[in-house]
Order: sequence, then C-alpha cells, then structure tokens
Amino acid sequence: MQVEAMQRGAFGWALVKLNSGEKFISEAGAMFRVSSNIEIDVTTRSRSSGGLLSGVRRMIAGESFFLSTYTASGGRGGEVGLAPKLQGEVAVIDCDSRNRWVCAGGSYLGSSPDLDIDTQFQGLRGVFSGESLSFLSVEGAGPLIVNAFGKLTEVDVAGHLTVDTGHVVAFEESLTYSIDKAGGSWVQSFLTSEGLTLKFFGHGRLYLQSHNPDEFGKSVGPLLPPRSS
Amino acid sequence: MDLQIDGNPDYGQLRVHLGPGETFLAEGGSMSWMDVGMNVRARLMGGFLRALIRKITGGESLFVGEYSCDRGGEVAFSPARPGTVMQRTMTGDSITLTGGSFFACTPGIELSTKFGGLRSVFSGEGLFFMECSGTGELFFNSFGSIIEKEIDGSFVVDTGHVVAWEPGLSYTIRGMGGLKSTVLSGEGLVMEFSGRGKLYLQTRTMGGIASWLTPFVG
Repeated sequence: MQVEAMQRGAFGWALVKLNSGEKFISEAGAMFRVSSNIEIDVTTRSRSSGGLLSGVRRMIAGESFFLSTYTASGGRGGEVGLAPKLQGEVAVIDCDSRNRWVCAGGSYLGSSPDLDIDTQFQGLRGVFSGESLSFLSVEGAGPLIVNAFGKLTEVDVAGHLTVDTGHVVAFEESLTYSIDKAGGSWVQSFLTSEGLTLKFFGHGRLYLQSHNPDEFGKSVGPLLPPRSS
Repeated sequence: MDLQIDGNPDYGQLRVHLGPGETFLAEGGSMSWMDVGMNVRARLMGGFLRALIRKITGGESLFVGEYSCDRGGEVAFSPARPGTVMQRTMTGDSITLTGGSFFACTPGIELSTKFGGLRSVFSGEGLFFMECSGTGELFFNSFGSIIEKEIDGSFVVDTGHVVAWEPGLSYTIRGMGGLKSTVLSGEGLVMEFSGRGKLYLQTRTMGGIASWLTPFVG
C-alpha cells in the first residue's frame, strides 16, 4: 500500500495505491476516481470498534455515519483517489504503534484498515467549546489521511502552545490539552470573539489548518436565505 | 516586531513575533494560535458608536483584539474568508477599506468609519467604509486573490469586487449599458472609479458564493 498527498494548495487530494487484496477505508463520499477492479463496500464499522453504535458516535463527531471500504480485487492492484469536501491541503500521517494520534472530527479523510478509529467523547468540554470539537482516537500502525481547510502546518510542540479550537487538525497523544479562554478573562475572550482555545502541553507533533471552517460558515451563512422548514 | 505573511494568494495568514512590550491589533476572532504567555484584550477602535455602526453595517467585529506578551512571543492570525492578506505600510497617508476587509494593524494606525452616502446603498459593499490612516503597518484581506490596479482616468468594477482604494479615487454607481443589459447580463450595477490612485480588487465575492449555495439550502 502506498498513500500519497497529491497537491499543495487549495485543492489537495490523496492517491491510494493498493496491492492485490489490500483494503483501504475512507469517509463515505470522498472517492472521486477509482480503478475498475476496486470493490467498494459501505459499512458503519471500522475494524474493531464495530456496529451501529460506533456509526452514531462517528456522526456525533462530525464524521459521516458511513465509511467506504475499498478492496483491490481480481488478483491485481488498483488506485483510489480521495478528495475532501472543503478546499485545502491534505496530509498523510504515518502512524506507528508507539504513538496514538488524535484527529479532529471534521479532518478525517481516510485510513488503513490496520488503524483502529474510535470516537473520543469530549464530555462537557466538547459541549462548551461551541465549535464542532470532537476527536477521533487513532491507534495502530499505518497511514492516516487528514484534510484541512486551507494550508496545513506541522508544528513540533515542545512546552506550550495555545490554539483556537477551529484550527486543530490532528495531534500526537503525547500532547495533553485543556480547554481554556483565549484572553486574561472570560469577558475579554468573549468580546474579542476568540471564545475558547485549546492549550497544549508536552512534546509532540501537531497539525494546524490555516483557516477556521466555522468562521467561514459564519460569514457566508447570513447571506443565505432562511431554511424552508 | 516581525511580521510575516504566508499562504497567499488562496490561504493567506499572518504570523507576528512580538518583542517585550510591543502590541498588535487584529480583527476579533482571527487568532489561530499563539504562545501561552500572550495577553489578549478587547479594544474598541474609534469609539463605541462607530465600532457599533461598523459591526452592524460593515460586517466587522465590534472589538479588535490587542495582543501583547511580556516576555515576547508569537501569534498567528487568519481571516474568516480564504484569500489574500495584503500588507501596506502607512506613512501618514490614508486608504479606504470596504466592510469586512480590515484584518490587522500596528498600534499607530487609526480607523474611522465613513458613511458612504446614498450611492453606497447600491455599491454592494455595505453602507459604511473604513478609513485607515496614521503611521504603521496595515493588513487587509480579500475573498479570493487581490488584483492591484493603478488607475489614471476611469475604471469600471462590478459591485462586490472592491476591497480598497486610495484617496485620489472617487466613484459613482451606474448600470452597465441600458436597463435590458443590466437585467440580462447579470452584471447589474457597477462602480465607476475616476481619478488617480491604486484600487485593490478581489477575484471572488461573498455574494457570489452565497447565491451559488442558496439553491442547496434545505
């Protein structure tokens, strides 16, 4: 299996090359090109955390309920092209079994079937963040594909870093975080519209997206007509 | 203070390294990440009433964030709309920004709200503009990339594409051709600029993406 992020800039996508018999999993609807011998199966389960319940939990995490599974059949290899909904860059993270990764709900694009993907319940801190803050926990060894709104930046955190909740794509679990106000006081944070931030501590890699999808949504939303009920 | 733009033209963002005691101002909600020791305070630019008017009519946030760091540190900002971030060094001159185009500045820049007059009703750029003057670094942003156009004479722009213009320019609103072509071409009203100075245009409009999305609103 070979997974490659294909393009920098606004229209990134990922090309997955599978050997005969190999499988790959993606968010449903992400496939835009595929070899003719690739079989596509839609499931609600990933390998270990299976069943309907995990589908519901994924949906809560901002992911689609369904996952697509691609299998290279017919004794030949094949290719799958995956593209995210939002415009922006795509990155391939090589997960190894030493370190778990945490991926923001909306940033998951695809993964090797050797990776266990599970929804992390954020508890009250998720509810109060006001953003679609939900995380997937990724365990195992293999490639994970993430997508960003805008440019992706990889940061090696050593110590502390404060990040606005809408800019987190993925991070190593060696980093711990707490949810906190942006400014010195809650009033100041509210007035500057910064709201809540994640304060990261420790050592590890962190992927950030240059733009905040919620902020863009808030600037387009008022220009749209009201939803017909 | 070290100011660095990257990601242009489609995903411009701004990274600021502040020395001890230095401050920097940015549109509310635009901070994306920062060092833990950074202080954030809300500040009204140009008085409460003007800031309120800007918020209601110009699509700007009511408060701007004032960032400082006792030990010095780094903070990054990105605008809500993907596009280009422009830097302009102000040396006592002024520039007019359309609503939503202001992004960030150093403390020496003054912002004031200017009523665009009745014609601005038809400009598609909001009723109020923001006039920036003073000395320092000004940052503004666009949706899509920015085209800088040196005008000497007159120039016609579709409404919604204007980001900023220099004080040597003035504009009038008019229809494109006759009533029939105005209605049928989809070009609607245009802004005709005349005079001498620089005009900043954006390649996409928020109205454009909104009307494309409208049929999909369930």
